[in-house]
Amino acid sequence: MKKISKVVNVKTLRGVVSVVFFVALWQLVVLVKVPYLQNLPYPKEVAVDGIQAAGSKAYWFDWGISLMRIFIGFIAAQLIGIPLGLAMGISRIFKSYTFPVFEILRPIPPIAWIPIAILFWPTRELSIYFLVFIGAFFIIVINVLQGVSNISVSLKWAATSLGARPKDIFWKIMVPGSLPSIVTGMTVGMGVTWNVLIAAEMIAGQGGLGRMTWEAYTNHNIPFIVVGMVSIGVAGYLCSTFIRWLGEKAMPWKRKF
Amino acid sequence: MSGNNGRGITNRDIFGEVRVEGVTKKYEKEGQCQTVLEECSLHVQRGKLTVLMGPSGCGKTVLINLIAGYEKPTAGRVYIDDTPVTGPGRDRLVVFQETALFPWMTVYSNVTFGCRAQGISRGETKERAELILKKVGLYEFRDKYPTQLSGGMQRRAELARAMINDPKIMILDEPFRGLDAMTRQLMQGFYVGLFEEIGRTNFFVTHEVDEAIFLADRLVIMTFQPGKVKAEIDIDLPRPRDVRMLASARFMEIRGQAIDLLYEEAAKAFSAGSKTAYDLMGALVAQKGACNCLDDKK
Ligand SMILES: Nc1ncnc2c1ncn2[C@@H]1O[C@H](COP(=O)(O)OP(=O)(O)OP(=O)(O)O)[C@@H](O)[C@H]1O
Ligand SMILES: [Mg+2]
Repeated sequence: MKKISKVVNVKTLRGVVSVVFFVALWQLVVLVKVPYLQNLPYPKEVAVDGIQAAGSKAYWFDWGISLMRIFIGFIAAQLIGIPLGLAMGISRIFKSYTFPVFEILRPIPPIAWIPIAILFWPTRELSIYFLVFIGAFFIIVINVLQGVSNISVSLKWAATSLGARPKDIFWKIMVPGSLPSIVTGMTVGMGVTWNVLIAAEMIAGQGGLGRMTWEAYTNHNIPFIVVGMVSIGVAGYLCSTFIRWLGEKAMPWKRKF
Repeated sequence: MSGNNGRGITNRDIFGEVRVEGVTKKYEKEGQCQTVLEECSLHVQRGKLTVLMGPSGCGKTVLINLIAGYEKPTAGRVYIDDTPVTGPGRDRLVVFQETALFPWMTVYSNVTFGCRAQGISRGETKERAELILKKVGLYEFRDKYPTQLSGGMQRRAELARAMINDPKIMILDEPFRGLDAMTRQLMQGFYVGLFEEIGRTNFFVTHEVDEAIFLADRLVIMTFQPGKVKAEIDIDLPRPRDVRMLASARFMEIRGQAIDLLYEEAAKAFSAGSKTAYDLMGALVAQKGACNCLDDKK
């Protein structure tokens, strides 16, 4: 126990040192007026703006809007993508019908879907959900597909010999066997999703952290641009941490002892 | 265990026999056709421990897959008690060459997988599982996941997962590979003890000559490309087997005979470029005391 807490302390200490060092460097850059970075606000200005924002309802409302958009688009991508990936991984026939189209659409960057999303969906809000969905969808499908094909055939054979029916094979072998890839797909997808969301909000959104940051830009409020950026970073980090936590809960056999 | 009726009694209802009759297995690879087994015939006797040896790549695992019903022969038939094999079945369970425990299940869930799939009541499942887990010495480890077990424990868990279902035939594909010498010897003793107690039909694949002779009632040696049975040797060492037999004159005699047969096939596989065959031949050459032969080949 003593040893573990010591390790954690050292790690936390290093983290604090790195943040302090970064802020000090920032302060220095502004102080000596490094070319092209003269417009950078002092860390203190950003901190003051940030604290002020944290006290306002509007700021947290933007958080809520962004998180909700992520949540809806991301969940929809999982609900459709995971079964699709499993089906493609299990049935060769289904895969040969769906995979070619999938492989043509997959390399299109999610941001390239913005115009068509805005045109085709009746509301801006729906187009943002759709874009977030696209950001996570292809990634989860390809990961699940890979996860299924990586399941060793001897596990399926062993289960069959032991009397498992196709239903058991699906739920007790295929699903848990592809779970590590599902979690990987979700983690990567979550990162992409935030990229897409911020771009979409800046172009088409009403409210949300991306829009908030963009409006700070149009108001020439540079400290608040940085507040927005930091907020987006923190939000993305929180979402990724949540997925990681979920993965650890769902896969107790991966835990290290 | 209902099969606990001592040695020598081979009840048709409890134990099965395997007949491989004229089996050929070919694989198509990018237009090329590889014949792995050709006209292979083999009899795994009821209630006996049959050990199969042969150089790496001669088709031992393929043969097992055919007997287990995972793959279909190109020609010929496999019979279990006069019934042709059409697919996998609970009457013949396999301990795979690569560990095939379900990584996401605890030892207990792994071992009881068969019982649960068949819908056996929880109470009976638990009773059977406790008995078998104690027998293989894993009762304390029942809530661990496979990756938290040592190699030897994983192998015992796999044995338990099969044995709990009382299969008529147990098929084991190099179950002790990758274990250190000491653990391996302990596992051999443990396994042979189980076999002598229960006496079910066992089909066992190994690369180790000493292990093969120590365990077997009958030793089958396969040829390399195409794979078929080259020779069968009855091992008439008394049971129960004991490590001291490894030094007996009879053991040495059988061993010499087996090594000569294996050497021929290993050399064939070696010139065909098989890596493991190289290892096997190295070991055999050392055993024969003719080390300069390898240097000539290089
Ligand atoms: N599904 C398959 N498709 C194509 N070729 C296969 C397949 N399974 C096995 N083979 C080929 O059959 C041959 C025999 O393989 P097998 O695994 O039975 O050897 P083995 O005797 O078990 O060897 P080892 O002792 O190394 O386990 C090999 O040349 C292998 O490449
Ligand atoms: Mg093999």
